[in-house]
Formats: sequence, structure tokens, C-alpha cells
Amino acid sequence: MVSENLVKDVVSEPYKYGFVTDIETEKISKGLNEDTIRLISEKKEEPKYLLNFRLNAFRKWQKMKEPNWADLGYKKIDYQDIIYYSAPKQKEKISSLDEVDPKLLETFDKLGIPLTEQKKLTNVAVDAVFDSVSIATTFRKELAEHGVIFCSISEAVKDYSHLIEKYLGSVVPANDNYFAALNSAVFSDGSFVYIPKGVKCPMDLSSYFRINSGDSGQFERTLIIAEEYSSVSYLEGCTAPMFDTNTLHAAVVELIALDDASIKYSTVQNWYAGNEEGVGGIFNFVTKRGKCLGKRSKISWSQVETGSAITWKYPSCLLLGEESVGEFYSVALTNNLQQADTGTKMIHIGPRTKSTIVSKGISAGSSVNSYRGLVKMGSKATGSRNYSQCDSMLIGDQAAANTFPYIQSQQPNSEIEHEASTCRISEDQLFYLQSRGIEFEEAVSMMVSGFCRDVFNQLPMEFAAEADKLLALKLEGSVG
Amino acid sequence: MHIIEEIKKNELISNPSEIQKICLDKLKLNPLPNIKSEYWRLSNKSKFSSFLDHSNKNKESKVNLPYKKASQNIIRLIIGENNSINIEKENYSIKKLKEIEIVDYIKKNVSNSDHNDHWSDLLNHCLSSKENILGLNISGNKIPPLEIFSASSPDSLNAKTLILFFEKNSKVDLIQINLGNKNSSLSQSTYLCLEENTLVNHGVVSYGESKSNLLNSLNVIQKTNSEYSLGSLHFKFNYARFEIRINQLDGNAKTNIKGIQITKNNDQIATYTTMQFNGPNGFLDQINKSLADDKSHAVFEGSIIVPKIAQKTDASQLSRNLLLSRHAKIDTKPQLEIIADDVKCKHGATISQLNEEELFYMRSRGLTLAEASKLQLSSYIQEIISSIPISKDRWDLLDKILKEN
Repeated sequence: MVSENLVKDVVSEPYKYGFVTDIETEKISKGLNEDTIRLISEKKEEPKYLLNFRLNAFRKWQKMKEPNWADLGYKKIDYQDIIYYSAPKQKEKISSLDEVDPKLLETFDKLGIPLTEQKKLTNVAVDAVFDSVSIATTFRKELAEHGVIFCSISEAVKDYSHLIEKYLGSVVPANDNYFAALNSAVFSDGSFVYIPKGVKCPMDLSSYFRINSGDSGQFERTLIIAEEYSSVSYLEGCTAPMFDTNTLHAAVVELIALDDASIKYSTVQNWYAGNEEGVGGIFNFVTKRGKCLGKRSKISWSQVETGSAITWKYPSCLLLGEESVGEFYSVALTNNLQQADTGTKMIHIGPRTKSTIVSKGISAGSSVNSYRGLVKMGSKATGSRNYSQCDSMLIGDQAAANTFPYIQSQQPNSEIEHEASTCRISEDQLFYLQSRGIEFEEAVSMMVSGFCRDVFNQLPMEFAAEADKLLALKLEGSVG
Repeated sequence: MHIIEEIKKNELISNPSEIQKICLDKLKLNPLPNIKSEYWRLSNKSKFSSFLDHSNKNKESKVNLPYKKASQNIIRLIIGENNSINIEKENYSIKKLKEIEIVDYIKKNVSNSDHNDHWSDLLNHCLSSKENILGLNISGNKIPPLEIFSASSPDSLNAKTLILFFEKNSKVDLIQINLGNKNSSLSQSTYLCLEENTLVNHGVVSYGESKSNLLNSLNVIQKTNSEYSLGSLHFKFNYARFEIRINQLDGNAKTNIKGIQITKNNDQIATYTTMQFNGPNGFLDQINKSLADDKSHAVFEGSIIVPKIAQKTDASQLSRNLLLSRHAKIDTKPQLEIIADDVKCKHGATISQLNEEELFYMRSRGLTLAEASKLQLSSYIQEIISSIPISKDRWDLLDKILKEN
């Protein structure tokens, strides 16, 4: 089995973003209680309603139990051993990027994120989040000309308090689940996007999350509101340094689409996944949910998940408006001892709603890669349709690929289709490609890339390239 | 939950047999399955407790069989009535298992069974007395078809157990009929052991009357080169739960499963299947259909488990469901758990209603809507029923179902 070993070698490419930025940070002491929450709220000079929102969530969280239904094996998280606020020290208020600590800019440069505005060619506005705070948001002026608000959530709390008060927690309530409640209590920063009526956002918006400190958790919150007839494409990227300890990342993302609005949310997740023995890595417990509130609204999730020791993530759509559309396209790659339990929930409530699910899982090493998805047709969802496709690719005989689709229907006048299949990189196919003069690594890459094509086609241009590169890093070694 | 109270208080059986004692001890501490567990969470709680509300009667009235024994060459057995069978012919033999064999077998099964997953079997063994356990050893390949009945008596909870050992190279057609009486509950546990090179065509037909409940558990062990085909039909139960567990012990075996459940009124019928491949070159072809009308609830959960050793497994599972009413509900969860990499596994699920284009076509040819619907339903059901052995002439199942609908 020469080729099998080769495939394994190709898969185990070292993590390139594992460096630590040596920067002076302001951290609060470890532990979580009501005082910690008051302290975070005070540091961010938040209004009273938000403090109450946090405290309310914290009290609910204390009464909740950590979920164990996903069968993920990880050592118990000590929630008192985490720093809930860590921020790079900088001067009071920065007016332009020139004042940002050059070390920080260098960090993001190294990660390939265009923060400096000379790189306008890329035409992507970026909100960069470093540990607990947002350090810079680019292209704000240009966006403001179109009425688009793109800023960190802490700024939004100050400047657009009415929107935050109205929408925060309206899609993912504070007591939705254990990790969402924790996030609601201690969230530090994140991005806020507001697209006014009738505006097609002139450029892609993006936020980049970087965990730098090893003992602090990252709890960001993203809120995107698309008013009637508007549209936006939003990208999200994440990396973290290599530490022997596990870092907790519990984010909440809320999307709201009103009549005829469309939101496209793409993620390339490349948190540090731990080493070959499974030491270290990020625990990624994320709640992402979109509400198609308006008629004919559309929310599309696309994600490429390659990192994290543990991924627990189910980007979902609540399809309330008539003829609203929900989409989910996902590629999840797991290697070594990574565990991923990811999928989606499509909840059809309004009539004639449609949803599509395409999920591709690649498991290598001794990893476990599970698709877990719910499709539910409510009793009023007449004429609704769903199509789901889940494919798994197994590399080596130690990895596991599981599929758990939950399908419920209470509406006879609706259709649900689900299909799933499993395959491997077969020796015949490899032999064929190699006999045509294609290098082994390239052949593997071609096959993986072909396997993921349906999903990559859905990614925005900038990200498709990044995703391809990422898979190349994880799968192809030098060939890319 | 009359029975559970009795188990707790140790008053269920005055003079328990060895197996009953073991199972009672297992259940005493924790008499109910965990209703929050994946295996039980969809069970309707009030219906489940109505299953347990009847008291256990070991002596029941004589079973009223729906079909008189025909002159055909069919061996008919009724669990609890005529268990003393011993046939030794030139081509085949059917022998009653010795009591010690039965006890050993059940003991072995109970000792390594999980409380939640095998709760139905545990309860069955607690309740079923010696007379209600039928154990047979079958060998030969020219065996006349077997017809095995188990039935509950009105206003009571009855437990019946069936254990069949199929010797090497045997070939059998077997139909099992579970009859639910008015206001009654039936707990049926079946164990089939297929030795090498056996071929078993198994049909399970379960139907009840008003307010009858059924807990039907089927455990199959397949050795190499055996082929097991199951065709099942469940209908007319207030609450029915059909658990199928198939284990291909050393791989190289073939399993075909076709099942249908038809729910009406306020019924809940659920099918849970677990397919375990414990060796290479296993094969599975499964299709499960549900038809839910009125305010009923149909559930299907199927899991396929392919560990590392089961390379070259070829498994497919399809769940097809028809939802006929606005108030009916269907839950389906076909799941795959795969570790071996050189396998072909696929599953699919659909939930829809009757095909409008087909209906339109038939109506344009002069059929009424009712006739057209009936025709479409019958073709939907026929695919499954045709795989139930020896049912064709003796059991007009399709007519029976269509009349009910």
C-alpha cells in the first residue's frame, strides 16, 4: 500500500499560521462570574440594556448543562480557567491605520489579510479582530457613501444602539444553547453590518479572526442586517497560533434578511487543529443562524472547515418569509485526531420555501467527521422543497465518516430529498492519472478538488482561491 | 404503567424462571428506557405508557386465527399453544430446542445487552413464561413453508419469544404473523441464527385492532455466505415499535430488508434498524416505506455501522415516505457510521405526497381521483408486499390494506 502512505504524508502538512505575535496585551484575570461580566461591559462602556442582556444570559447559562449529544470526546473545559477579555494595548482612539501598532499590521500581513489601504485592488473591506477586540476596519468611508454600516460591534453599540437593541439576540436567543448563552454573557467584539433598503453592497465585506493569546477564549458576535431589496456577500476567516493548550472559541452569528434581501456568508475556518497526537488546538463551538424574515429573502452559507481540534457548528436557516431560500454548502476536512460535527438546520416555516444542502466531508488520519443536519417542514410550509446531498471521502482506514440526517415533515404538500454516499481515493483512479503523466500529489489534489467542486463554485472569487490554497496546504504539500 | 410498578415492587411474577429472574434484576433498578436517548426520544410517551398499562396474563384465550389451515403443505405454529413439534423427514428436520439451550442462549444475549437498546427484549424475557417461548432447530433444504403466529388476548399484555436456529445449508421460507387484539399489548422478541450457507426468506406481518399495541424486536445473526431477506408490514396499531438488529458476524453475507408501515387515525408506528457489519464483503439493500394519514406519526431510524474490519462493504438504505394528511407527521433518520475506507455506502430519504402528474395522467384516462390514488398507493405498497414470502395467495394483504384506507 505505497500510495496509501503517500496520501497520508501529503495530508499531514504543517500548520503555517502557528506563530505568536509578541505584543503587549491587556488581560483581565481568569474566571467567570457576574463581576467579570460587569467588568467587560464597563470596559466597553456599554448601555444598561446590554449589561442586562449579558447578565440574563449568564444566569441562564449557569442553569444549563454542556451538551453531550454530539458524542465528541474532549476533556472537560474548565470555564474558570479562561481569560474572557484580552486586547492588544493601544492608544485611546485610532483615527487611521497608521496609528495601529505596526506589529499588528505585520501579523495580518503575514496572514495575507489586506489591512493597509494601498491594497485596494483586492476590493474587500476587512474588519480585523485580534483576540477580544476589533483593531481595524477598512474601507469604511467608501461604504458609508452607500449607506452601508460596517464596523465592530462595540462601535455599533455606541453609534447605532437602536439597531443593536432591536436585533441582538433576535435570531439566536440568549438561552438558545449552552455555548450561545456563554457567548451572550461574555462576547467581547465582532462585526456589525447594516445594508440599507435597496443597496447592493459595492464590495465584499470580510472579518478576520485571530486568536493570539493561549489562555484567553474568543467570543465574538456578528450581526448582519439586510433591509428590503439589499444584498451583501460576507466573508470570514480565522487562524490561531500553535499552543499545547486548548483554546475555546464560542461565537454567535446572527443574520436577518428582510423582503427580497439576500445574504451570502462564507467562512474559511483554519484554526489551529492541534498536533498529530491531538495536543492543543481550538475548540470551536459556534452558533450560526440566519432568519429569512421577508418574502423572497435568501440566506446562503458556504463554509470550508479545515481547522480546530473540535468543530461543533450548524449554520442554520429559519425560513419564515414566503418563497424564502436557504442554502448550505460545506467542505469539512479532518485529519489526525480532529473531530468535526457539523451540518445545518433548515427549518421551513413559511409557504413555498426552498432549501439546498450540499455537504462534503473528507476524513483522514484518525479523525471523525460527522454530518448532522435537520430538515423540518412545518405544517404551514405548503409547496416547500428541500434537497440534501452529503458525500464523504475517506483517506486511510482509521478515519470515520458519519452521517446523521434528521428529517421531519408535517406538510404533505412539500418534498424532501436526501442522499448520501461514501467513497475513497481509489488506486485505480490514481493509477490512471499517474499513467497520464500527472504527479501523485497533483492527482490527489485534482480528485479532492473535483470532489469539492460543487461547494467551491459557491464561494466568492477571493475565497475560492483561498480555499483552494488551504486545501492544497492541508493536502498537497508543495503543489498548489 | 402497571407493569413497571410491579417490577419495582417485585410483584410481577410469583415464581420466576431463571431467565425471568436475571432480567427482572436488570430492570428493577432502572425499569424504563431513557426517553431522552436517541433510540426512544420519538416514542409517544402516553402511547408508550398505554402499552404498559395492561396486566400480564400467561394463560390466554385461544387465538382466533384469521385463516383456517389450508390443505397446502404449510407448517403452522402458534406460540404458546402447540410448542411440541418434532419432525424428522428425509430432506429436513425441525426439532424443538432443549430448555437448557434456550436458557443458555437468552442468558448469553441478555448478559451483554445495553439497557436502552435492548429494553424491549429485557421486558419480553421478564414477562414471557416457558410456555410462551418457542425454540426450534431447523435444517434441510426442502422444508415446507413455516407460518408462526403470536397473538395477544384482549385487555392484557402478552409476551412471546421465538428462537430459530438454522443449520448449515438450510433453506427456509418463514412468515411470522403478529396479531393484536382489542385493548391489548403484545411484546414479541425473535432471534434468528443463520449458520453458513443458509438462505432465509422472512416475512413479518403485524396488524392489530382498535387500541392494540406492539413491541416487536427482531435480532438476526448471520454467518458467512448466508442470505437473509426480510419483508415486513405493520399496520393498524395504536402504538407499534419494530426494532431490527442484524449482525453480519464475519462478513461475506447478504441482507435484504424491505419494510412498510401504514399509519392512520392517531397511530404511531416506528421502525428502528441497526445493521452491523463485522466482517468484509458484506452486502445490504434496504428500503423502508411509510405512509402516514390523518393525525398519525410514522418514524424510521436506520443506522448502518461499518467498522474498520468491514472493508468492501456494499450497503444502501432508502427511506421513502408518503405524507397524506396535513396533520400527520413523519420523522426519518437514515444514518451512516463508517470507518472502513474501501466501502460503497449510500443512503437516501424522500418525503412527498402522491405524484400529481401521475394522478393527472390517470384521471385524463377516465379514472376518478379516488381510483387513481388507490392505484398509485397499491403500486407503492406492492413493491414491499411482493417480497413477503408465502403471502401471495393466502394473505390478500394489499386488498386488506386498501379496504382499510
